[in-house]
Formats: sequence, structure tokens, C-alpha cells
Amino acid sequence: MKRTLILAALGAASFGATNVQAEEVNIYSLRQPELLAPLTAAFEEKTGIKTNVLFVKDGVVDRVASEGENSPADVVMTVDIGRLDAAKQAGIWQPIPQDITADVPANFVEPDGAWVALTARARVFYVSKDRVDAENLSYADLASDEWAGRVCTRSGQHAYSIGLVASQIAHNGEEATKEWLEGVRDNLARKPTGNDRAQVQAIYSGECDLAIGNTYYMGKMLTNDAEPEQKEWAASVRLVYPDAEQSKTHVNISGVVLAKHAPNEDAAKQFIDFLLSDEAQAIYAETNFEFPIMPGVEASDLVQSWGELKADSLPLAEIADKRDEASKLVDEVKFDEGPQN
Amino acid sequence: MALPILALAFLALGRFSVEGGLFSRMLPVALTETGLLLLFVGVFTAIVGLMSAWLVSSFEFPGRKLFQWAFILPLAIPTYISAYAWVEVMEFTGPIQTTIRAVTGAKTIREYWFPDIRSLEGAAIVMSLVLYPYVYLSCRAFFLMQSGALVAASRALGANAWRTFFAIILPLSRPALIVGVTLALMEVLNDVGAVEFFGVNSITKIVYTTWLNRSNLPGAAQLALTAILLIGTLIWLEQYARRRRDYLTRRDSRVPPSLIKLSMPVGLLVTAFCAGVVFLGFGVPVLELLSTSINRVMRGALRPAIWPAFINTIMLAAGGALLCVSIGYFTARKMINRDGRGGWSFLATFGYAVPGTILAIGILVPLGFLDGLINDGTRAIWGVTVGLILSGSPIAILYAYTVRFLTVSHNNIEAAMKKRGLNLLDASHILGANKWRTLIEIDLPTLRPALVAAMTLVFVECIKELPATLLLRPIGLETLSTFVYAEASIENFEAAAVPALLIVLIALVPAILGGRLQGNHS
Repeated sequence: MKRTLILAALGAASFGATNVQAEEVNIYSLRQPELLAPLTAAFEEKTGIKTNVLFVKDGVVDRVASEGENSPADVVMTVDIGRLDAAKQAGIWQPIPQDITADVPANFVEPDGAWVALTARARVFYVSKDRVDAENLSYADLASDEWAGRVCTRSGQHAYSIGLVASQIAHNGEEATKEWLEGVRDNLARKPTGNDRAQVQAIYSGECDLAIGNTYYMGKMLTNDAEPEQKEWAASVRLVYPDAEQSKTHVNISGVVLAKHAPNEDAAKQFIDFLLSDEAQAIYAETNFEFPIMPGVEASDLVQSWGELKADSLPLAEIADKRDEASKLVDEVKFDEGPQN
Repeated sequence: MALPILALAFLALGRFSVEGGLFSRMLPVALTETGLLLLFVGVFTAIVGLMSAWLVSSFEFPGRKLFQWAFILPLAIPTYISAYAWVEVMEFTGPIQTTIRAVTGAKTIREYWFPDIRSLEGAAIVMSLVLYPYVYLSCRAFFLMQSGALVAASRALGANAWRTFFAIILPLSRPALIVGVTLALMEVLNDVGAVEFFGVNSITKIVYTTWLNRSNLPGAAQLALTAILLIGTLIWLEQYARRRRDYLTRRDSRVPPSLIKLSMPVGLLVTAFCAGVVFLGFGVPVLELLSTSINRVMRGALRPAIWPAFINTIMLAAGGALLCVSIGYFTARKMINRDGRGGWSFLATFGYAVPGTILAIGILVPLGFLDGLINDGTRAIWGVTVGLILSGSPIAILYAYTVRFLTVSHNNIEAAMKKRGLNLLDASHILGANKWRTLIEIDLPTLRPALVAAMTLVFVECIKELPATLLLRPIGLETLSTFVYAEASIENFEAAAVPALLIVLIALVPAILGGRLQGNHS
């Protein structure tokens, strides 16, 4: 009800605006058009506002910054807390009104309204069904001798890895994290390469027994009709939430920024409001296997079947703060060059 | 043209607290891996490119005519697409390893040895297989223009084919070899997709890490410029080393290079070598794409948005090719007239070596600034906001293409101008023709093969270009390469195969046509 009222108010406000244009909203997105399509379609149907999506990868923040006050961007959608923080630092945002984010858990909205999270994903372990029995594992285990030559991961400099390392720095300090990272590096079965799915494939092929990856890949592989071989890969592994006992499973987010010079500000606010609605959150959960961040919206049945996520309550802002340090640490221990002994 | 580089230099100065650790720790690693990659690719493309050019222009063997243009085919395949296709073929679930397991009964990869494609060596080989045509093209053009007199003399003196190759052909073709290898190496340097795919810790990777993970664009710009300076120094040293030599034997000794007929077993061996090169560089990736595409089309899952992207790709590439060739003509003209190596145009050639996304930033910053000025102006005078007419339009992409690929057209045209000399133009002037008439009736027609070759190469390059197009395109404009990328980055390789195949098909047409035209005219 409240949301409907806000929408009505926003709608009224947009009619009152002096510069009435055909209603549309321009989305600069790091998320691929195919992932966004069900969301934008639902939004268009609901509001009649047209959505234009520009899929950009690295450099989206720099682009909006250099376009300055003439930028057509209304909202910027991205993944990873680090990139959201970079958008904040670059000053390309304006505060998202608090009435839109009122129901969002505190950790998922930037205090000044620079960004709001839309979904969460956990950085978990994929372990071989045949070769691994352990039920409870922790990130610390990755460095123990038991896992020597059995661990696979993508590049330590990938945003998702950096997020995990940054969270370990925030919890355990830089010295301990460095030691841990060296331990993990020496336990690697191979030089970090490929993406998260490639690591699962490496378990399937017998090259390693444990891989680090984001939760939603499991769902995507299990439902991949285009490349059914991926179903086989996924069937050879099971998912373990690390540090679940201490409620410290590392979680990263995808989120949205309201652009500083948004030409269609009202439409943009409606769009963000829609993305946080139960309807949109459910679409995220069902089609992309991510965790909805709004209380009351459930993860998909498939995701729930993997067990319960007990997310780390570490403030995301702290992870963002430690990214620079994490990136340097990964370089310092030459993580991406693989085992050193 | 040097504006983006200057903009990067400006950015690099932005925060002059150079991170000590950045340079001392990661730069050596990155330089070693990049250096090794460049060395491998350089040697590999030089050998394969020179060999293939020498074989088709000196010997008669079964299929020679076919290979003359078939050697160019891999040029149509972007490195990132070739990388993806090769990984699909070579990985654990690919056809080769699956067959090995079926035959040997092995279950896991620990039970047998198989080379890891995701490695520095893998990257070097896969990239070389699609980059050698640069060397082939420049060497073959050279052989075709080369008088047969020297080779005839060498043979008359009793030297066999191998001796002639090492004593005459190899030293003479050095300039052409260098041109081709340089193009191939610059292609390696600005590649982002393939090295990431193969897990190479290249200099491009640390540029990206610095920029994105440490939010340090100035540091990234410093690293990018360091890399460019290194390459620039290498090129300059090479040019300096051969500054006083004139390799170009005049064409007036009208001895056409004669073909030596190879005996049957040797001829077949040569044919097998040629077929192998083309198969690995072109056949494997295309077969992989074809099989996936057919699967896709059969399931009726083709997205209609692919057709506008198809048109956009052709329009942008045509625009880029026209721009590069026109500007390349004038810069080449300037070089010839001054008979010197202008420093600034040398700077312009660096555009080719800058990682695409970084170059795009170097373009965004000045264009965005200009757009700001323009809008301030129009608002002050007419009270209208015109929007991003530069940075938010195809102009930005065309600008990027020009900066990136001007070197390609410039080098081709300059070489042809040098070879032709200025005598014809002087004659035309003396006979009273004004400069327009000279341009249209003498200058351009005599340069036609070079102009066509330049236009072809740039066109193909533009079609393949990804990172700058991705970052600079206006909202709503898609090209085939951005299409491929969007699909591939959600690891939807199957959906990426159709547009990828279209890229290859479009690039094939001018590659073959251009190859033929060049052959006929020389």
C-alpha cells in the first residue's frame, strides 16, 4: 500500500515537472541485457515508462563522470560493492530518497543514499561429491595442509576475489590475511585462471576437489539447457557455505546508483522503487538465483535446497575500504602466479 | 590523433604519488609475462608469416593459388573469439580430451597428460595462429614487388633455394617482416579478452587491476604509458638501426619473380604445411562456431536484435575505413614530402598499442570536456542544450577507430608512395595539370592497390574491435562485437556463436577481395 502511494506521488510529481518529455529511463548497466530483460519488461508494463539499456563493462563510472551534466544516464546498475563504492567516490550520484529505501536492511543501503543494493550473492565453496565428505568448512581451511593441491579459484584480482580477501582483512587484520593468502596460494591445484564455472568444470575433470565461486552459478549451471554438459559439471559438486557456524559467509551485492544529473529523475526513482518491490525481487530470485535483499521475499526453492545462508554481518562499507589493501596483498603474495613451492 | 595519448598523460599526472609498490612489485612480473608473450608471438608469426609468403610467391605446388588468399583467412577472426573456440576444443569436456578418455578409459585428468591451453604458451600459439596474416600480407606484398633479378642471380651462382632464402630473401625482407610483426605485436598488447581468458598476467591486466580494484586511474594511465614508451623505444631502435639502408630495389628491372616447380613429394609436403596453418588458424575456430551456431539456429533461438547490430557494424567499419584511409593518405603525403620521420605522427601510431578500454577513457575525457563547452555555448547563445553531440554519438567510436587504426592505413600508403616515387606527379605538374587533376588522375589511381589494401585492413579491424566500441557507443547502439561480448560475459557462449560467426563472415569478404586485388595489381 505504502509503495503504491509513493508511486502515485512520484507519478503526480512527474506530471507537475516543467519539462515534460516522453517518459523513459536510461539505464547504464554492468549487468547484461538478458539478465535485465525480465525486470525492464515488467517495469514497462506496469508504468508505461520506456527503458533504454546501455550495457557497458569496465569504465562505466568514468564514462558517466566525463559526460558530466549532459549525461543521459538516469541510473547506473552494477555488481560488486567495490564498483558501487567507486561510483560514490567519483561523485556521479545523487541521494536516493529515503522513502524508497525505508524497508531496506541498513547494511544494504549506503548511509547517504549513494547506492542501494538489489541482490546479494554469497562467495561459497563447490566441493566434489565423490572426494570430499566434510560438511562444515571455513575460509581458513583453504590454507590448511589437508587441502594441498586440491583448491581451484579464478584470478585473485577479480572483483569477487578481492571482496572476499577484503572481508578477511576486515575480520583478521592484514598480517593474518597475508599468511592465509599464501597458504591458499600454495594449496592451489593450478594457476588461477578462467571464471567461476571453469572452476566447477575443473572439479568435474578431477583436477581439483574444492573451488571458490558465487552461489548463483550453481543454479545457472543446473538449469543450463543450452549447454547441457554444464548440468553434468554441476551434478558432480555440492555447495558448502563456508563459516556458516560462525554466521560469517562472505556476501557481495549488486546495486543501483541514481545518477547525479539524471535527466529523467522521477522515472529513475520509480525504476529504483520498482527494483526493490516484491515483484522485482522475486524475478531476481527466480531467474538469476540471487538472494533478494528485501525482507519477506524468499530465495528460489533451488537456492533454498542448498542450505541456509548465514551471511557475514560485516558492514559492506568496511569491505569497500579494504579493497585497495586486498588488491595489493594479492599482488604481494603473487597469488595469480600459483603455488610457490 | 595524439589527443587521447595526451589526455592519458594528463590523467597520469593527476595523482603524482606514484605507488612505489605498484611499479616495483607487479611491473617486473607483468613485463616478463608480456615480454615472453610478445617474444613467442613475434617469433611464431615471423616464421609462419614469412614462410607462407615465401612459399606461395617462389614455388609452384598443388593448391598454391588457393593458399595465396586462404592464408589471409585467419585475419577475419578476432583474438578473443579464437581464444574462446580453442578453449572449447582443448578443454576437459572438449572433443579431443573426450576422445582420449573414451579410448584409454581414463576418468579424470590426473590419469593422463594433456597440455593446458589456459597458459602463456597456449595464449601465444592461439594468438599467433590468427595474427600471422599481418606478416604474410606485408611479406607477400614485398615479394610481389621485388624484382626477380636478385633471386635469379643467386640461383645462377649455384645457390639452392635454402641458401637463397637465408642469404637473399631473409635480409631483404627485413623491413616487411618488421612491419608485419609490429602490427601483430601491437594487436597482442591491446588485447584484453584473450589474455584474461588464458590467465596471462600481462601488463594489460595490471593496468586494469590498478584502475578498477584500486580506483587509481592515474596509476593505470602511468602503467599504460610506460608500456607504450617501451614499445615506442623498440620501434624507434629498429628504425634507427636501418636508417641508412635502402632496401627497396627499383622495379625498373622488369624481371618477374619466377616460380620454381617443386617435385611431387616435396610439393605435397608444402601443401600439407599450408593446409595445416590455415586449418589451425581458421578451420578450427570456424568449425567450432559453426557447430554451435547451427545448434542455436535449429532451436530457433536467434534474437532479432542481431540484424540492426549487423547494419551498425558495417556502417561504423566503413566509416572508420574511409576516415583512416583519407587521413592516412595525407599523413603519408606529409612524411614523403618532408622526407623525415615526424615526431608527432610517430606519437599518433601509439594509438594502436594502447589497450582499447584505456584508449577509450583517453577519448572520453577530452570529448566530454568539449561537449561541456559546446553545451555551455549553445545555452548562452540560443538557450538550448544540444546534449552529448561528440561523446554520446557514433563520432566517439569513429574517432577511436581512427586513433587505433591510422597506423595501419598510414604505413600501407606511405610504403606505396615511397615505392612509386614522385616522378609521375612531377611530370603531371610540368605538363600543366593542377593539383586536383593530378590527385584524381595520377596520384590516387597509381596508389590504388595500397589504398584498397589499407581500406580492407582497417575495415576488418573495425569490425573486430571490441573494448572501445563497448565503452563509447551511444545508448541503444549495438554492434556484432558488443553482442558477442554481452552473451559471452554471461558465459552464454552458444548465443555468442551466431554473431561471432557473422563477424567472421563480414570480415572475410573484404579480406578475400582485398587479397585478390592486391595480387592482381602487383
